[in-house]
Amino acid sequence: MTLFESAARLPLVTADLDALLRRVAQRDVEAFASFYDHTRARVFGLVTRVLRDPGYSEETTQEVYLQVWQNATNYNPSAGSPLAWLMTLAHRRAVDRVRSEQAASQRESRYGAANVETPADRVAEAVIHLDERRQVTQCLDSLTDAQRECIQLAYYEGLTYVQVSERLAANLATIKSRMRDAIRGLRNCLGVS
Amino acid sequence: MTEPTAPDLMTLATPYALHAVSQAENDDIERQLTTAPDLVLRAFADEVRAVRETMAVVSSATAIEPPDGLRDRLLAAVNDNAPGRRLNPPQRRNWRSIVMSAAAALVVGLIVVGIGWAIRPEPKSTTAEQIFTASDVRTVSGPIPTGGTATVVYSRERNAAVLVMNNVAPPRAGTVYQMWLVNSERARSAGTMDAAAVAPSTTAVLPDLGDSTALAFTVEPGAGSSQPTSPIFAKLALT
Repeated sequence: MTLFESAARLPLVTADLDALLRRVAQRDVEAFASFYDHTRARVFGLVTRVLRDPGYSEETTQEVYLQVWQNATNYNPSAGSPLAWLMTLAHRRAVDRVRSEQAASQRESRYGAANVETPADRVAEAVIHLDERRQVTQCLDSLTDAQRECIQLAYYEGLTYVQVSERLAANLATIKSRMRDAIRGLRNCLGVS
Repeated sequence: MTEPTAPDLMTLATPYALHAVSQAENDDIERQLTTAPDLVLRAFADEVRAVRETMAVVSSATAIEPPDGLRDRLLAAVNDNAPGRRLNPPQRRNWRSIVMSAAAALVVGLIVVGIGWAIRPEPKSTTAEQIFTASDVRTVSGPIPTGGTATVVYSRERNAAVLVMNNVAPPRAGTVYQMWLVNSERARSAGTMDAAAVAPSTTAVLPDLGDSTALAFTVEPGAGSSQPTSPIFAKLALT
């Protein structure tokens, strides 16, 4: 299936994903395979970052894509890009899973605030353009330590903002504005409209 | 609890978009949004959207390749569910992916059946379908020490599970495998499997998970026991 191999090397373009997702909604398996190839490293990487367990991460990634297959018709282009739709879905599932695991085991956070980046040798270079990755890394670095810590705890460790405020012994308003400022900083730095 | 004013609601847009609110607060925010003024609603939606678009771009920083077997399993799952279009099997398969696919092949088959049911017009839904389409569906899989794999697909919401035993060696003559739903206090029988049921693979619906925290397996004499009489030889945690 050379179709998939060549598709995997195409740059990630929202219009492509949009068209693929529309075909997935019509039960087009080739489109689903291509959609998976375009996005799998982002989804698996995010899920792995949140869950930190290869087995759980694989199960959760599988559930995410089966949800895509079943619910592609629910995607509404006016509410956001296909990638944002997918990553929101993936993050939701990962956070739900990590919270149920944490409730079961009271697992402690093992990673510090600086640990947002992925080790270079595990980067999915075939799918993610190095330039894009470098830019994102630079933008993460441009945040203050306090802002980065908020993103780390809330987004990558699945804590609620209330739990973040407890962890950092800071009041709720401070944490909420740090989160908002972190996102604004990233958004401006990345040029997300 | 006092109703937050619109500015308070707006300060929750970013935590909400990052899934950094508790389920109760999430529901509360969504309830407030249904009665919020248009301007607030639009501002909230704009901020949620901006956060999610930003984090979608940020996802390149954490990207890593999933195991090969995952693609095979997903395509196998959706292939059977697609009208009039089948893909050729993947041409490059290594041993690792074959082993990993084998472990999950049956459960994927079941998920396909679940999806098949989901799109069929008949309104009646089976327990299995309800599990597969539940928002909290989970999969847990583990090796059986004597060979083969047990996989449980379950939903707390639906309070039920589907068990798949794949390539599990049959029990000795005169004994059965018995499944137990266990918690810290007790073990409750969830059914038995004899030699005929086990080989080469079998599935069973387990209704009423209750507050069980694991599914355990023992070997029991005759047609099974009311309480386990032998050590647990395999256990899958239902978190």
